[in-house]
Amino acid sequence: MIDQPLKLRETIAYGLTGLGLFIGIWTLLSVSGLVPHQFLPAPLDVIARFFALLTTPFAGATLPQHLASSLQRYVCGMSLAAAVGIPLGLLMGWFRLLDDVVSPIFEGLRFIAPIAWVPFAALWFGTGIGGPVMIIFAGAFPPCLINAYRGARFVDPHLIEASQMLGTGHLRTILEVLLPASVPSIVAGLRVAAGLGWQSLVGAELIVAAAGVGFMMVQAQANVSTPTVMAGMIAIGIAGMLIDVLLRQGEAAILRRRGLQA
Amino acid sequence: MIGRRRIAIGWATLASLVLLWFALTTWTGIVSAGRFPAPADFWLSLVQITTRGYAGGELFTHALHSLILVIIGFLVAVTSGVPLGLWMGWSRRAEAAVNPVFLIIRPIPPLAWIPLAILWLGLGDAAKIMVIWFAAFVPSVINSFSGVRTIERPIIEAARMLGTPRWRFVIEILVPAAAPMIFTGLRLSLQAAWTTLVAAELVGALVGLGLVLNMAQQDIYPGMILVGMLAVGVLGFGTTWVLGRAERRALVWNMATRD
Amino acid sequence: MGSIRFDRVNKIFETTKAGVKALDDINLEIGEKEFVAIVGPSGCGKTTCLRIVAGFERPTSGSVSVNGKPVSGPGPDRAVVFQHFALFPWKTVRENIELGLRNKNLAKDRRGELIAGALNLMNLESHADAFPHQLSGGMQQRVAIARAYVLDPEVLLMDEPFGALDAQTRVMMQEELVRLARVNPRTVLFITHSVEEAVYLADRVAVMTRRPGRIKEMIDVKAIRTAENWNQFQRIEDVMDQDSFIHLRTHIWKSLREEKPEDRH
Repeated sequence: MIDQPLKLRETIAYGLTGLGLFIGIWTLLSVSGLVPHQFLPAPLDVIARFFALLTTPFAGATLPQHLASSLQRYVCGMSLAAAVGIPLGLLMGWFRLLDDVVSPIFEGLRFIAPIAWVPFAALWFGTGIGGPVMIIFAGAFPPCLINAYRGARFVDPHLIEASQMLGTGHLRTILEVLLPASVPSIVAGLRVAAGLGWQSLVGAELIVAAAGVGFMMVQAQANVSTPTVMAGMIAIGIAGMLIDVLLRQGEAAILRRRGLQA
Repeated sequence: MIGRRRIAIGWATLASLVLLWFALTTWTGIVSAGRFPAPADFWLSLVQITTRGYAGGELFTHALHSLILVIIGFLVAVTSGVPLGLWMGWSRRAEAAVNPVFLIIRPIPPLAWIPLAILWLGLGDAAKIMVIWFAAFVPSVINSFSGVRTIERPIIEAARMLGTPRWRFVIEILVPAAAPMIFTGLRLSLQAAWTTLVAAELVGALVGLGLVLNMAQQDIYPGMILVGMLAVGVLGFGTTWVLGRAERRALVWNMATRD
Repeated sequence: MGSIRFDRVNKIFETTKAGVKALDDINLEIGEKEFVAIVGPSGCGKTTCLRIVAGFERPTSGSVSVNGKPVSGPGPDRAVVFQHFALFPWKTVRENIELGLRNKNLAKDRRGELIAGALNLMNLESHADAFPHQLSGGMQQRVAIARAYVLDPEVLLMDEPFGALDAQTRVMMQEELVRLARVNPRTVLFITHSVEEAVYLADRVAVMTRRPGRIKEMIDVKAIRTAENWNQFQRIEDVMDQDSFIHLRTHIWKSLREEKPEDRH
């Protein structure tokens, strides 16, 4: 009742059919004028625009320049989220009192979508780098914290007992037992955080930026330049995918070293 | 179950934070009113928006509108996403055909659809629902798909051994077995729906909590920003709670503990 | 009704390029209402034999037939009891047992009767509305057996059914199975690691070699059981105390020992 895996050529055949249908219908709708060309440029137009943007500036910079600007903010925000979230998570996993104090605050704030911090970010940082960094932090911080916390809390109790028996103090326990034991969880959390952070970045740039891919897209929308909007979406998608692929490799390498994955 | 000590500490923390809030704003003025509202500012904003209205409506109007959009968008997304995910899970052919398109769409962050949605549908409700749909669609598909693929083989074999016809298999075996993961997808979809709605309303809207937030920022009205954020949080919590209750009822048989 | 026949069955799994040969020329005939156990070292293919009869796998060459007709797919005529129970966690005990009956389109009253009978037979009446996770391993396996029995199958296929249970529960279940087999006999193919279990339960025991599995030896236990009148004993430990039992068991052990590479002289 649940199919057997397909042979490779079957997979490719079905895949190409599906993809072909998608692109075909898109092209048809656009070229025939069923949907105004303004709103739905043909796939080829979008691709052409994408390549054009690699060298021609729009809204103040070329696509690679916008991307670099976005990535800069992204890296800042992510580093901050990891630098605060991971240690705090580990400490919360170890010191029950800290957990009891911080968790309620965290749980309460969790329901406020990171994007809702944008008005305050705009108020405090204007269109400077602080705004997007803050939003990225809001998005990427929870997974960093939660995964570090879970990693530390749910360490095999026998490992803790063994370390206590060996007379290990608090700091050393955290650094040499909890942290290494939590690495798989932390790394998984970083992957999730990276995705959420990237999404938060895009959201922030739509509203409070003066450069970056999100900003470029908003300008393109205001100018009714649909191919540019779509090109921007493609760029964001590719960048996000590359980041995820890189992190997956990193995660796999780390897990392999630990013998947790073939 | 949450221990009593933990609850007590929770309240203590909350009280301390409120005191800190007063201390930093009203009592000492370290944080200026232009940056972050004092409790009094917050209260005044709250009173204003609930009685006299702000940004074109009262709090209730804005909140209800946002809530309805989220619910509609969420429902559209899950009623299309879950069946697609389930179908891709049990039909390898469907998976092979849909995957390429899905893989292209998937990496695009939901919020990146906002400019396009505005181009196509303007600043009204339709654009918001479209963006919510795209955002909430993906997690439902992925998790439903996963839910089917992780069904243990003996379960499927037992169902076949018992001579279960295909339609009964889908309704009584496939869906219940995938249900825990389907609900995980629903939770993620709900989160995505809220995030997207607020963002879309921040970019451009005629009514809604996002609009309130946007206007409050432009008017440099921190008290109102706080009101807006809290409203978003409360509604987010409420909808999540409802989903949680539904999940608990549907999965009453599931002994796995979820955090 | 309920005879099984393996006719020159070979099975190769294509998990690697070369393929893994699991079964090598299996020929076996199981008569109506005969209880046959297959023992053998891990990976010898004994479970594969069961899975082919069940219809979950196809032989690479040769054929397996039930009542003279080749097996084409799974079905309630060859009910399976799985090692890890395979109960549907979202269905109550009653609903688990009922599914097969509903698939047969039996009327509601008839289903009720049969289920009540099965619950009674397996001592599950007080747990009829519980969910599997609320039951112990032994009880879950009883539900799995009830689910199979209620179909009144010609053939009962049991794949190391007591392997996931603790030692004491296991003994209890073996005694129950013997009781069941006397009250309600049918053809049984029983896969196990445990030689004692096989000798205690079966009419005949097939000993398999290690992979690729062949049937090394067929042992007629029934003849000895009848001759030595093991059935006079109610308790398993009394049966296992008999010299004749011990001889049989040791014989099979020795045969299996030869299959372990470290012990080959």
